[in-house]
Amino acid sequence: MSATTLVLLLALAGGIFATGFFGLLARRAILFQLISLEMMLAGPALAFLAGGAFHGSQQGQAMFILILILAAAEVALGLALYLALRRGADVEDSDTIAGLKH
Amino acid sequence: MLSPYLLLLLVPAPPLAVFLILGLDPFFLRRKAVQGLALLGGIAPFFAMLPLLGLCLGTECRGVMPIFTLVFGQSEVALALLLDPMSTLVGLTVAAVGAMVMTYAIDYMSDARIADLRRFFALMNLFLAAMLTMVLAGDTITFFFGWELMGLCSFFLIAYNTGLPQAVAAGRKAFIITRFADAFLLAGLLLLFLEANSVRLDVLIPAGTIMTEDRHVVIALLLLAGALGKSAQVPFHTWLPSAMAGPTPVSALLHSATMVAAGAFMLARFSPIVMSEPAVQAIAAIFGVGTAAFGALSAIFQADVKRLLAYSSISQIGFMVLAVGLGAPQVAIAHFVVHAMFKSLLFLAAGDITHGSDLGTSMMAMRGALRRRPIAFVTYVAGASSLAGLPFVTAGWWSKEAILATAWSGGAFGILVWVVALLTATCTAIYAFRPVFEALQPEPEHLSRARRGHAVALDLHYRKRWGSAFIGLPLVMLASGSLLGGVLVGPIIRFLGAEPPHPSHLPELVAAFAPFVGIATAAALTFVPSLAAAVAGARDMRRPTRLDRKFQRWVIEPYVRLVRFLAGNRMGARAEAELELRHVQIVRWLSRGARMDGIYQALFVRPFVNTVRWLTGHRGGTVDPVGTLPVTLAQRGMQALVTRLAHDRFDRFWMRSANRLVRLWVLASALQTGRSRDYALGAALGTAALLVIAWGTTWN
Repeated sequence: MSATTLVLLLALAGGIFATGFFGLLARRAILFQLISLEMMLAGPALAFLAGGAFHGSQQGQAMFILILILAAAEVALGLALYLALRRGADVEDSDTIAGLKH
Repeated sequence: MLSPYLLLLLVPAPPLAVFLILGLDPFFLRRKAVQGLALLGGIAPFFAMLPLLGLCLGTECRGVMPIFTLVFGQSEVALALLLDPMSTLVGLTVAAVGAMVMTYAIDYMSDARIADLRRFFALMNLFLAAMLTMVLAGDTITFFFGWELMGLCSFFLIAYNTGLPQAVAAGRKAFIITRFADAFLLAGLLLLFLEANSVRLDVLIPAGTIMTEDRHVVIALLLLAGALGKSAQVPFHTWLPSAMAGPTPVSALLHSATMVAAGAFMLARFSPIVMSEPAVQAIAAIFGVGTAAFGALSAIFQADVKRLLAYSSISQIGFMVLAVGLGAPQVAIAHFVVHAMFKSLLFLAAGDITHGSDLGTSMMAMRGALRRRPIAFVTYVAGASSLAGLPFVTAGWWSKEAILATAWSGGAFGILVWVVALLTATCTAIYAFRPVFEALQPEPEHLSRARRGHAVALDLHYRKRWGSAFIGLPLVMLASGSLLGGVLVGPIIRFLGAEPPHPSHLPELVAAFAPFVGIATAAALTFVPSLAAAVAGARDMRRPTRLDRKFQRWVIEPYVRLVRFLAGNRMGARAEAELELRHVQIVRWLSRGARMDGIYQALFVRPFVNTVRWLTGHRGGTVDPVGTLPVTLAQRGMQALVTRLAHDRFDRFWMRSANRLVRLWVLASALQTGRSRDYALGAALGTAALLVIAWGTTWN
């Protein structure tokens, strides 16, 4: 893998992360925020894979598996919360549940 | 591998832990929990001492457990605990008596309010920890620390009934007198440290024996003075009888068996230094036998059981000091062990008997004891026989006989001491059996309501119900110790590395006769009406005694003349009349029988108070500019420094700052929107800022 490919891949990873982050801030629907969070995790995962491939090391792939597990755990928790809010309080908009601060 | 001497640390640790728990009390413990904890802290040291005794009997009996060492220059401050025959024996005695008294106190104090109970047991446990630390100390700093902590606990426990002014005054008196004597001890220990460049006893004591003679005498005298103060020996004895204002378990543990006798233990511990100087040794012997005789004589005429026993402690510890002075510290320790058993027994039994009466702790309260409290009465008789030294069947006889035999073999001086000690032993039997015979008399039928109300007002919480096993068990165990402990006296002396003295038959026969004479006299004093009336008359001291008149002639009148002379012409007629009145008051006050106390009051306390009043211009008219200067300066300094930082202003400063923070709080709470999107933005911005900082700081 050449250095150019690495830079391109890292730029792509940064782009995915930024997109996810923008989605997290701009979207108010909880489901879309969860999707954005998944994208925010996918960007760094791609960066790890690219770095590992460039340096010829297995650590990049190991980190990718770690992030995969992290993302799975996060989605499990997030979807559970989303379903509970949906069924219990009929909430879609994350800004309307600001009462937790009290 | 762990050193077996680590166990030494476990001996004072449980009572100390219990003190911390009860003293801080984070759990708001209930009554049962407080009692259980106190019992645990009281008994655990005994079981920690047992393996140490086994170690000491089995293998080597000389071990040091270092705690902390600080070296500066050529001097070394090494804190350590020490296991040797003396510390094992005394530590075991203290732990055993402590366990007994704590068990007894569980029931005895059970009527107290919960807060008082917690305070009481916290202090008792702290005392036990301090005493064990002092006994097991391997260096003078730990030793002195334990010694002073004991004094502090003694002060708090004497003044346990904080509602009673006389209890608080007694505590203060004990505290001041013993601190005064402790200053001598501290000076002696520091001089020893300068000689030896070490605080460890195993280095210090050998170094102390080989120094030059003048220093040696000074140090030995300072140590002796410290011991006399702690052990309430003449001339420091006045604090102990007043200390009986504390509860009975306190008197039994602190003011008879263990803490007061610590002076004798200290002398025995430092005996190589004291003994290598014949003059100091003779002084110790004279003070010891003199105190023994004085205490025994005073005890005969006491009207209060606890005060009688207090004078008895003074007298018995005089015997211990005498033994050290005669060059037999091993015998002194043997008497310490035996005395601890029978004296705590006497206090506990007398406490139980008088607890069931309405008359406080007066001698009258003993009446009818046989019917009211049979166990306590029988054990009291056992303790009294041991105190009187009934031949062969009691422990007191064996240890006292060892002291008398040591005196007999000590040349002409020794025989003189022996005669005085024998007369003292006779007096001992008299005062030991006076309460017993008093107790045999029937209980007074009718009690005036005023007396009853008085006892209740004094918070002497009397009860009519029977004592439980918590009271009976310690009494029976201590009684068996007081009677059968005699077989231990010989082994104890050998264990400490000396041979028990072998008296010749004639003095032993004479000494065996003395207790019976004393008991017969005590019976006569109680049952022959004319003699009983004479004792009562002597006790009341309504008229001035010869001693008072002598004191009047040699002390008060010269003092009055001196004051007149110093006052010169400035003294007006009114001031002279006032002085005359005060003088009459002093005489009248002295004639009420407070003799030694009165002398101290007149010689030290009154002049001191008057000097302070005079210097502050309190009397009016005689303001002394030189004397008032330091007071004025101190007051100014207080205004400048303390008042400025006093509670109010300091508080206000803090509260103002806190009020300013309210606006900040409003601002900060506006940031908390509760919206997850805002928090995500905040987290991202923070991470970005951190990245920028990291990038900036690693820039090359």
